[in-house]
Amino acid sequence: VNLRDFNRVLRETLILPIILLLAVAGFAAWQIQQSADALKAINRSNALLADINELQKLIVDQETGLRGYQLTGDPAMLAPFRAAAVPVNKHFDHLHQVIAARTNSSQTADALQQLATARDRYQLWLGFAMGVLNKDPAALNNPRMNQRGKELMDNVRASIDELVNSETRLRQTRSASALALERRAFVTLVAAALIVGVLLGLFTINRLRKVSRAYDRALEELNQQAEEISERRQWFETTLASIGDAVIACDTEGKVQFMNAVAQELTGWPLRDALGRELIEVFRIIHEETREPVENPVDKVRRLQAVTGLANHTVLISRDGTELVIDDSAAPIRDADGEMDGVVLVFRDVSESRRTEAALISSEKLAVAGRLTASIAHEIHNPLDSIANLLFLLEGESDRAKRAEYLQLAQQELDRTMQITRTLLSLYREPKAPVPVDMKELAEGVLLLLERRLIQQGIDVERQFREPAIVEGFPAELRQVFTNVLLNAVEAAGKGGRIRIRIEPVAAQELRGAGAVVEVWDSGPGISESARPKLFQPFFTTKGENGTGLGLWVSNGIMQKHGGYISISNSRDGDLRGACVSLYIPAQAMAGASTRPAQHVA
Amino acid sequence: VTASPLILCIDDEALGLKIRKAVLEKEGYRVLTATDGSSGLTLFKDEPVEGVILDYYMPGLDGGQVAVAMRMQRPEVPILLLSAYVNLPAEVVKLVDFTVLKGEGPGELLIKVRRMLSERRRETGNEGFS
Repeated sequence: VNLRDFNRVLRETLILPIILLLAVAGFAAWQIQQSADALKAINRSNALLADINELQKLIVDQETGLRGYQLTGDPAMLAPFRAAAVPVNKHFDHLHQVIAARTNSSQTADALQQLATARDRYQLWLGFAMGVLNKDPAALNNPRMNQRGKELMDNVRASIDELVNSETRLRQTRSASALALERRAFVTLVAAALIVGVLLGLFTINRLRKVSRAYDRALEELNQQAEEISERRQWFETTLASIGDAVIACDTEGKVQFMNAVAQELTGWPLRDALGRELIEVFRIIHEETREPVENPVDKVRRLQAVTGLANHTVLISRDGTELVIDDSAAPIRDADGEMDGVVLVFRDVSESRRTEAALISSEKLAVAGRLTASIAHEIHNPLDSIANLLFLLEGESDRAKRAEYLQLAQQELDRTMQITRTLLSLYREPKAPVPVDMKELAEGVLLLLERRLIQQGIDVERQFREPAIVEGFPAELRQVFTNVLLNAVEAAGKGGRIRIRIEPVAAQELRGAGAVVEVWDSGPGISESARPKLFQPFFTTKGENGTGLGLWVSNGIMQKHGGYISISNSRDGDLRGACVSLYIPAQAMAGASTRPAQHVA
Repeated sequence: VTASPLILCIDDEALGLKIRKAVLEKEGYRVLTATDGSSGLTLFKDEPVEGVILDYYMPGLDGGQVAVAMRMQRPEVPILLLSAYVNLPAEVVKLVDFTVLKGEGPGELLIKVRRMLSERRRETGNEGFS
């Protein structure tokens, strides 16, 4: 039941009784009107009867006067007779008017008839009376004449009595009907009141029941909704609390409002201590390398009004001073109107994955060395073998010239060995800051390590070097990338294959600064479409047991660190239709590629 | 009086080959040298070679392929495979009579060469008596 229905029920409950009571009142008023009419009719009858009475009295006065004159012959006796003559006629006229004004036609007609008869008879008597007056007073006392006058007067009396009788009957009828009307009105009113009362009672009960049922239902619904809301809230809280990542919610002022268990654990702040505190107090973050404080994520979100990732290399310092490398993001919490209501931070401890990544990177370094083992073994063992042979020859040689020649050869072979080992070691030895690196020299160094392999595989290496291609970087890492790329090319090209290495300095362009581009083309089968998207993912290899699947992943990381890039495509170039790996290394190392605060990430 | 044994030495490392030849000659062997597989095979065909010292890693034909070709021509000639690499393919190791790692030194090499040639002599000697 909604509010509108509820109002309708209320209106019905109010309006219906009013209508019913008005109806009863109207009925009562009508009944009272009826009674009043009946009473008026009775009064009219009374008045009429009084008039007739008066008329009778006047006629009796006239007769008495006339009789007195007849008996005495004294004209003074005629005074009442004469005095009554005009009023009698007035009374007749008045009675006629009153009766004629009545509405009941049959009864009116009878009464008018009776009145007319009485008047006619009175006129007859009056005619007789005039005759008496005109006669000689001596002859007045004539019994016959007296008898005649009495008869005529009796007739008048009889008809007037008749009129009185009928009017009396009418009055009785009226009185009875008024009484009946009164009784009926009383009964009807009582009955109507009872019926209306009962009806109203029933109706009100019905309506009230309906309202109360609706109210019950609404209450039940509300309870159910409240329960659902509470369950939902519980569910959300449980979900937030059990999320594997740390979650902190703040208000717009940057005060902590909520922390889940992981967040409490990582920051070292129990929720009850952290509630209402400034976020930066609880969530202390600095840059991993510069140790500078990082911008408060709440300010950053407020500034950008969008989801923001924190800079790489962010370190969280927990309450007890433990440092954790974290990866995180912050997002505005918006209310229904889209207004920012707070900020939610999600972060996770990536120290472990950092260590894993570091382990993978160093294991890849070893793998590169492993891939070079055959070449290196050859490169080192050949001169060592020669030296051993030369020592053997020197032992039994007495000829000075021969000895000198052997020693010179031994020195030559030793130099070669040392060059090899130096190159090999340079794969690992690394300066702390970027240094100028001659890409050509670097390429030649790697080619030297691979020389044996290339010769054995009969691979022809075409060098297209344009000098000077000098960049700033970490030589060992660049060498590692180069070794990887070249070894891949050697393996792809296969026996009797061909490789082209193009190194050239490039001028600054719109989207990149000056630097060097290195391209390595091979005559192999190229990159398959299915392999292409996965090339730079860790543990992806097309070489089965022979590859770690980390080479290109690590190479990509190294190139990014240098601010450069690595890309691989299939060559469409005439004679070399294999893969083409393209490297770009900027000439200016990005002001300490590894120490730069990663603001550009934002 | 028999002439000293003739050994064919094949290695793409010219300097190493030259020194090895000197070592073998000092021990009294006659030595022929070739710096790749195919010229080595030519010498093997043309000369009465009694033993072969063969490098494994070479451009063009590698030691394994050269050894196969030699076995097809004259299987009785013993072959010593010399390599700087430890992981030699098993079928190649089976094919040759001896293997020596570069870096084991001239002593080891000379012992194996001596054994190789003496076995060869004994075998041919037996043949001679029958």
